[in-house]
Amino acid sequence: MGLAPRRLPLLAVGLLSMACGVWLGLARLGWNLPLPWQDQLIAHGPLMVCGFLGTLISLERAVGLGSPWGYAAPILVAAGAVMLDLGPLGSYAPLLITAGSLVMVAIFGVVWRRQASLFIAIMTTGAVAWTAGNVQWLGGAPIFRVVFWWLAFLVLTIAGERLELNRLLRPTPIIRWEFVVAVATVLGGVAAATWWPEPGVRAMGVGLIALTSWLARHDVARRTVRQRGLTRFMAVSLLGGYVWLGVGGAIAVVSGAATPGVLYDALLHAVFVGFVMSMVFAHAPIIFPAVLGVPLPYHQSFYVHVGVLHLSGHPHCRVGEGVGHFGGSLIQLVAHHLGIGGEQGGQFGRGLVKLRADPLLGGLQQRVELNRRGIELPGEILGDGGDLAGD
Amino acid sequence: MATAPDIREALRQVLDPEIGVNIVDLGLVYRIEVDGARVRIAMTMTSPACPLADYLKDLVTSAIRDRVPDVTEVDIVVEWEPPWDPDMMSDEARRQLGEGER
Repeated sequence: MGLAPRRLPLLAVGLLSMACGVWLGLARLGWNLPLPWQDQLIAHGPLMVCGFLGTLISLERAVGLGSPWGYAAPILVAAGAVMLDLGPLGSYAPLLITAGSLVMVAIFGVVWRRQASLFIAIMTTGAVAWTAGNVQWLGGAPIFRVVFWWLAFLVLTIAGERLELNRLLRPTPIIRWEFVVAVATVLGGVAAATWWPEPGVRAMGVGLIALTSWLARHDVARRTVRQRGLTRFMAVSLLGGYVWLGVGGAIAVVSGAATPGVLYDALLHAVFVGFVMSMVFAHAPIIFPAVLGVPLPYHQSFYVHVGVLHLSGHPHCRVGEGVGHFGGSLIQLVAHHLGIGGEQGGQFGRGLVKLRADPLLGGLQQRVELNRRGIELPGEILGDGGDLAGD
Repeated sequence: MATAPDIREALRQVLDPEIGVNIVDLGLVYRIEVDGARVRIAMTMTSPACPLADYLKDLVTSAIRDRVPDVTEVDIVVEWEPPWDPDMMSDEARRQLGEGER
């Protein structure tokens, strides 16, 4: 595959953005990490969503399109991501990323002409939601207004892909309508949150729960989890991610958390880390070979990465001990149901609950330490204008 | 000398990684033309947004090289007409996916 060298720098930018984004995320959790610019914590969300996932997804679309012009999308997004990686947040990065998302919408225009179908419409709507969020970001809207549009982008993109695979099971019209209603509720909630933040986020949560319920009943992973090897690994990762989507939806419904705070953080990370990153991990063994032309043979150790992912998603979801235990128990339950092994699943779940406390407490201690030294933390920064919230 | 059934059998070794079903039973292989040591395959993807075309093409080429050594040249074209449809799946693919269970 001669295209691989062209794709490699783009993938590298995506991964660099993820590394920078995680660095800032740990700093926000209270880890004592050096920051080149004091106000750089603001870039955590944009780096993770646009720099990392945006670059990866637009690259995937360009590869799927198969025409050279499609690469304008990942190139523009990656250029914006590099600016986020290497410098303070200015207006060029949002501009480049917005332009890249517009090219992605254009890619879907061509894909639509190849095959007009509901799943393409959903994925196109996801790309439009990303663009809508980016335009607001470019216009100076606070991240906590933009982030739910970005959430819609990722949720609709993934949901569209799952709907596409669901065709294998020949869904009835009712099943397809159920899906449309769930997705429309998510999007309607996000749009409503522009004017009525709390009710909008709650409505979005209802949509996320409806979508989780749909995926849990109708996704092809329910069948493919019975296969072996890579296919089973992907299905297990996906089903684990759906649990987190439901957790995110439940937090949204209960809290209506539309502005920065603990519940807002928990909601966003349940979806972005628990759900979206599970998808990335599930597909990594085929995305990397597809994009780079380098084989990545399946190995059982892949499960360790996914386990660590759920563990890392956990400290973010720090809604007190209750949810902590809830999360641990859910993973235990899923592990048990998927037949990973009752006892191992149990130990894994208990381990999660035990382990989550330590980094969190460490983080809190460091927060206190930083506060003593007069360093502003994201939560406090949000007080003045609140546009630093996002992730 | 390689024959179309030999090639078809080789392609049964190529699994769609996400679904775990081979590309022949999924109905992704539209045509197989054998001309001496040259093989021409027309295939599709389940989705036109799918980025896996190159990945599957590589798997197809290696499967043919491994199983039908007579073949020296493999030419693969990805076609979008007609678009893939679930009706193109074989009964075996449906059985593997447990179709009908709800």
